[in-house]
Amino acid sequence: MKAIEQVFRSAGVAGWLHVADVDGDGEVALGADEPVVLASVFKVPLLLELHRQADRGLLDLAAPVPLPAGARTPGGTGLSAMLDEVTMSLRDLAYLMIAVSDNTAADAVLAHVGIDGVNALLDDLGLAETRVVHDCRDLFAGMLADTGAGDLTALAEACADPAMTARLAALAPARTNRSTPREMTRLLGMVWRDEAASPASCAAVRRLMGLQVWPHRLASGFPFDDVAVSGKTGTLPTVRNEVGVVEYPDGGRYAVAVFTRSWSTAQNQPRADAAVGAAARIAIDHLRAHI
Amino acid sequence: MDIVRHLACFVAVAEELHFGDAAARLGMAQPPLSQRVRRLESELGVRLFDRSSRRVALTDAGRLLLPEAREIVARVERLPDLLAGTGGGGAATVRAGVPGDVGPAVLAALFAGFRAEHPGVRLVPAAMGTAAQVTALLDGTLDVGLVHHPVTIAGLGFGPVLVRHPGVRLAAGDELASWSAVHLADLAGRELVLVPREAEPGLHDETLAACRRNGFVPARIHPAADEGFALGLVLSGTAVAFGPPAETPGTVWRPLAGAPLAWRSSTAWRGEPGPHVTAFAALAVRVLREDAGMTDDGATPARRVAPRPATGFLA
Repeated sequence: MKAIEQVFRSAGVAGWLHVADVDGDGEVALGADEPVVLASVFKVPLLLELHRQADRGLLDLAAPVPLPAGARTPGGTGLSAMLDEVTMSLRDLAYLMIAVSDNTAADAVLAHVGIDGVNALLDDLGLAETRVVHDCRDLFAGMLADTGAGDLTALAEACADPAMTARLAALAPARTNRSTPREMTRLLGMVWRDEAASPASCAAVRRLMGLQVWPHRLASGFPFDDVAVSGKTGTLPTVRNEVGVVEYPDGGRYAVAVFTRSWSTAQNQPRADAAVGAAARIAIDHLRAHI
Repeated sequence: MDIVRHLACFVAVAEELHFGDAAARLGMAQPPLSQRVRRLESELGVRLFDRSSRRVALTDAGRLLLPEAREIVARVERLPDLLAGTGGGGAATVRAGVPGDVGPAVLAALFAGFRAEHPGVRLVPAAMGTAAQVTALLDGTLDVGLVHHPVTIAGLGFGPVLVRHPGVRLAAGDELASWSAVHLADLAGRELVLVPREAEPGLHDETLAACRRNGFVPARIHPAADEGFALGLVLSGTAVAFGPPAETPGTVWRPLAGAPLAWRSSTAWRGEPGPHVTAFAALAVRVLREDAGMTDDGATPARRVAPRPATGFLA
């Protein structure tokens, strides 16, 4: 797909993409089997495992979880940015973890579900290249250690230096939460076809991914009121990812996984964000034109 | 007095604003024409013209009378057509105008269908744009038409308004041809073939307005009344064109995503439609629905909106 490569190139990123028809064999692949850094995209298998454990009666989604004021995981959104103690149900934490990528909420959910539980889910679904090895807190601790930065602001400034960015284990797939574009679209396809868990649980996962607020990546490629876009972003220095499903009013639905690394270390690169949506749009248009 | 003949004289003078020219048009001498207009004025008790040595002008009363007089004269002229065929005389005739963009298959269904349903009525079709049809309907040289909206002319009656959503025709080599649907904004920078404004003023202006609203400002507009000319421009890659699905080698047709263009059409006639006009209009609506895939205006399903948090209410 030359057009997709062109989009990535002109946005100043390297990109790995897999787009698959949820209900058919059509696919568009660009480095689809390469290992990629998930960043916050790991919250999708975590969300699914939360619901699978609820399906099995291992936990209660409505159970209240107290979150003390002093023990927040770093992050710029949701509970990570809030100051006071709250008590929230597991499923509402799951909402914050997906809708605004709340790291504190994600770690609280992961503490209940367990890393082993998430990896067992991935084994069950046959997603051997997808692994979760740490929570958000450990991921940040690793980046602080790698750069010698004291806090999030210092870390952001340190990561403006390409040499510093190169040191981050969090940007090496083998040393962090990882997957491949193809395994991510397989996971989404199973969720959208009600194969990954009970139909009610799959529906809950779909609902939360549809409530994600970010309009700048995948959704930006589909500026159409009648097209539904559900997704989950993943962001780290130079990393801009999103996986999701795009649903057309004629019933066509397409699982999308786009992972990018920018050449520049600048944090604000709207064109790089938009390239995720533009590449997905080209791939989906291709699938819809060549049925 | 024969009020209809007097009204015909009044109409001629009102349209020419010159007694000599009006008399020539009517094939009569000027003095009897002037006399008839004076007799009409005394019959009605109003002055219809201000006459000076240099020019003739309508009075307010004359302006008021003119459309009514035209209607009466035209209706009386139509009487023989209406009654023909009922008493064994000549065949009744329906003069029907249709725009050139309707397409041969639809025209065939329309003409053949009318002939099958009304074998005693002679159908005289004429290819003409909306503007020409409106003029012809108003002056009585056309009985029924198929017009593109918007048409805002008093005195015409319209059948149900039907709508179709045109797609875009591209050269087969156009890079957009590999996409399943094209957004108007994707056409940015391209040239556009469009029906001439003189022929279809309403459709022309509404189409261009919708293009601009959706991010397509054509680099150049080629007016093309002729289908072959438009096709040539598309085939050569010079311009793109809007229209119904069409399979022509060397071109591809793609729907416009979101159906941003809505072309509305209806049948039209002047005043009270006669039975043959009604029959033709009903058939035309049926054919447009069944053969041209048009739907009732307003019956198009409401656009679905898939809510997104970032673009919803109060976000």
